[in-house]
Amino acid sequence: MPELSRRQFIKIAGLSTLGASLLGSCTFSKVELLAQSPHQTPEDLVTGTDNWYATLCSQCPAQCGIVVRVVEGRAVKVEGNPLYPINEGKICPRGQAELQELYHPDRITQPWLQKGQRGSGNFAEITWDEALGEVTQRLAQLRANGRADTVLLATQPLRGRMALVTRRFMEAYGGRYMAYEPLEDVVLRAALNQTLGQDVIPEWDIASANYIISFGADFLSTWLSPVRYAKGYGEFRQGDRGRGTLVQIEPRFSLTAANADRWIANRPGTEGLLALSLAQVIVAEGLVDSNVIQAFTRGAGAKALEEFRPERVQETTGVTAEVIRSVARDFARQRPSLALGGGASAHTNGLFNMKAIFALNYLVGSIGQKGGLFFNPNPSPETQPLQAAPFAQWRDLVGDLLSQKKPLNLLLIHKANLAYGLPSSINLSQALTQVPFIVSFASFLDETSAQANLILPTPAGLEDWGDDIPDPGPGYKVLGLRQPTVYPVGDTKAFADIILALAQGLGPEVKNALPWTSFREALQDGVRNLYQASAESQRRASFTEFWQSLLQQGGSWNLQERIGSQGEPPPLPQPEPASFAGEANDYPYNLIPFLSNALYDGRGGHLPWLQATPDPLTTVAWTTWVEMNAQSAREQGLQEGDVMIIESPYGSLEAALYLHPLMPPGVIGMPVGQGYWAGDRYSKGRGTNPLAILAPLTDGETGALAWAATRIRLRKTGRRSPLPKFEGVVSAIQLEDEPIIQTIKANPSTP
Amino acid sequence: MPEQYSLYKWTMVIDLDRCTGCQACVVACQAENNISFNTEDRFHQHRVMEWIRVERYWDGEFPQGRAHFIPILCQHCNNAPCEPVCPVYATHHNEEGLNVQTYPRCIGTRFCANNCPYQVRFFNFWQPQWPSRMHNQLNPNVTVRYRGIIEKCSFCVQRINQGKRRAQREGRQIRDGDIMPACVQACPPSALIFGNIKDTASRVYRLAQDKRSYRLLADLGTDPNVVYLKKVEY
Repeated sequence: MPELSRRQFIKIAGLSTLGASLLGSCTFSKVELLAQSPHQTPEDLVTGTDNWYATLCSQCPAQCGIVVRVVEGRAVKVEGNPLYPINEGKICPRGQAELQELYHPDRITQPWLQKGQRGSGNFAEITWDEALGEVTQRLAQLRANGRADTVLLATQPLRGRMALVTRRFMEAYGGRYMAYEPLEDVVLRAALNQTLGQDVIPEWDIASANYIISFGADFLSTWLSPVRYAKGYGEFRQGDRGRGTLVQIEPRFSLTAANADRWIANRPGTEGLLALSLAQVIVAEGLVDSNVIQAFTRGAGAKALEEFRPERVQETTGVTAEVIRSVARDFARQRPSLALGGGASAHTNGLFNMKAIFALNYLVGSIGQKGGLFFNPNPSPETQPLQAAPFAQWRDLVGDLLSQKKPLNLLLIHKANLAYGLPSSINLSQALTQVPFIVSFASFLDETSAQANLILPTPAGLEDWGDDIPDPGPGYKVLGLRQPTVYPVGDTKAFADIILALAQGLGPEVKNALPWTSFREALQDGVRNLYQASAESQRRASFTEFWQSLLQQGGSWNLQERIGSQGEPPPLPQPEPASFAGEANDYPYNLIPFLSNALYDGRGGHLPWLQATPDPLTTVAWTTWVEMNAQSAREQGLQEGDVMIIESPYGSLEAALYLHPLMPPGVIGMPVGQGYWAGDRYSKGRGTNPLAILAPLTDGETGALAWAATRIRLRKTGRRSPLPKFEGVVSAIQLEDEPIIQTIKANPSTP
Repeated sequence: MPEQYSLYKWTMVIDLDRCTGCQACVVACQAENNISFNTEDRFHQHRVMEWIRVERYWDGEFPQGRAHFIPILCQHCNNAPCEPVCPVYATHHNEEGLNVQTYPRCIGTRFCANNCPYQVRFFNFWQPQWPSRMHNQLNPNVTVRYRGIIEKCSFCVQRINQGKRRAQREGRQIRDGDIMPACVQACPPSALIFGNIKDTASRVYRLAQDKRSYRLLADLGTDPNVVYLKKVEY
């Protein structure tokens, strides 16, 4: 029989179908369909078994526990570790993208040496021996010449054994060390220290709280440990008790404001005044126990807070006395209640704001209470973290470099993208040219690495060893462990391993301070201490068994080890007005830069999944936008997609406009995270970076960058650039008569 | 026509009062189901592929406004408008209540996408591409689709099958919470809940009886297997 060609087959098939329909018997038996239904086939035919490894996420400082599915040596999926106490099996978009960090096509997989002018991008691959030899020789020579103090190591903030290795190395070597984070938590920690007596961030018990006032803490998106807080938020809303009430006080409409029951837009920088005004109402109306009031006001009673009567502050804060009163009453009555402070710290009076906010927790008796806040254990001397240095120190460093007062001969950088994050007005790029040799430990080319002479590639999070003492922790001791889940993709070396290797070549003093041959050994050393100190040493057959059990579950924790404390209320903070850069006449808008939901502070910019994740509110992806009150934009004849020049007294940049119906007039929001000029194929040349045009203003006492203290003006370029956004991809189906989002009125929650 | 179902009828409950709009489900779905990432061009062309998406609705303007979020995925309708229009039976209903898409059968007429009131069916206008090395992250349990066919949410059928096999191997019934599609597993505030509605002890069964429950575009009579719980307004 001649073979049937495709064409013939279709002809015959067509004819027979026609015939069948003419005869009126065109039915397929259902069994036939089911029998060959291949919806089960492709998914069924997978050979091999999968392995799951517990490790830690490296995409943001929260460092949630994750499990990675590995099939035949390939990491194929990241999921939350259900055992890990921080995130309990949950995970955010950034955590999923760990895979793309691992398999990114533009990863640096071999040491690179700059051959041409620095910054020219003319890198040549060299071997690890050459690279390490070069750095060791420079370090040794500087030390021999007594110039060890002209070496600066700058890293991202470090915790756990990584911090220990780094600190010991720099102390033994005699160099300088600073940690860097663009939107630092310096003010938050200082305020916690001055109100709660501890700069370790406490556990906020959102899940059990009944009433939460958040002063600009975007805890459902990027604040501190967002997965943990979002998990708590789910229970706060629909747990097995009455529904909690969330009030967001913030001049910008953030994701948390969008989910709040009540969003109150205050004037930027007046959060502390509002907090004291809430306290005034509670004290004056006697809404809490009189002993508490006496302690809180140091015996002065309502008099102490008289200047913060709602009527007196309503003008300054932009919030009416009526609203302040009603929030204060609910806050005091619907306990347990909680006051959180986030964006309030980004002003020149940030410390005052945060102290006033955290003090509210004393007034409503939430310290150490369910639904309030729990203290986290202080780290031991061995596990002391390396916290971010305030902006003022970076500004001084740059100033000293420019004036040649304190020159640097060698700059070592590990995941601290100074050139991107520091405001351009302090002129870091000029200062860097004063440093003869720069070494960067990085997985990807970023703006600072591009200026380096030598780039030493480090592993991705999924290939690395590490540990973490989460901060904020869950209210008890936790040690998380990071382990490699796949064979390394390139010829990389972990930062801590490089440090240990360098120490070998720097004489006995440095070498003896770091008695480990690999970072894994240093980790095991730490876990061995834990093993010997705990009852586990009796229960387990050997240390190896204990170590493996820890790797298997992702770390070690003990829920029983809670610490309680009810300290004395702090003295009432002295009010301080916020100051801004730029006169209101010339620069009519407050610029509020915010962390992007997907890209965080830009560290996710190279990952296409995150670039393509729409912002929850504006739905914009892949670029930077400027959000402006829709009404005032329309009045000025502006349209979405108009390219605007955003001008501060310290610089200008361009971005397309988004007409935001809920942005207060007078406030302009811009996401941080784009505007890379040296990066990889996905982030390079995309959008703009609002951090670059910020004024170098700081919070007075802590020296932290007041990143919301810059005023700007907007000008139209006349060009248009349509925003890539999800809005409009599918037509809206919210109907008038039967809306797809249906709502139901809340029962008034029982106090 | 009501179907005769097997032991299982898979149902998802979406609690709008828990949902924060954070997009964790969206990325988890793309990671699990080998959806090639949405380039900037796709956003401009309105051809973004998200099997589950979070829609945001503005409600009012400053100062009296709010924003609402709703995750929308294939509703796995019991009377699915997409099914009868497929000329090649690529989309049909299985005995466990899933609306399944058979990729090798699909010839790309896009009738189904046209007929779907929820707009959750996506056409592959291009051959999906992964740059070198990134193909390593592909999930071996999910077919990579090609240009010219329709794809959509499968309730992570590969995970359902795995869960069934695991239960069988261990000689037991599937327990409530055993099987979780990628979106459900990721969701930080646990706004998404998945289970077998035939099991009257399951969470989805209990939540589907809640006074807040409703179905999307119920008056169309599609009878979805996704149940929404109303958002509570203060």
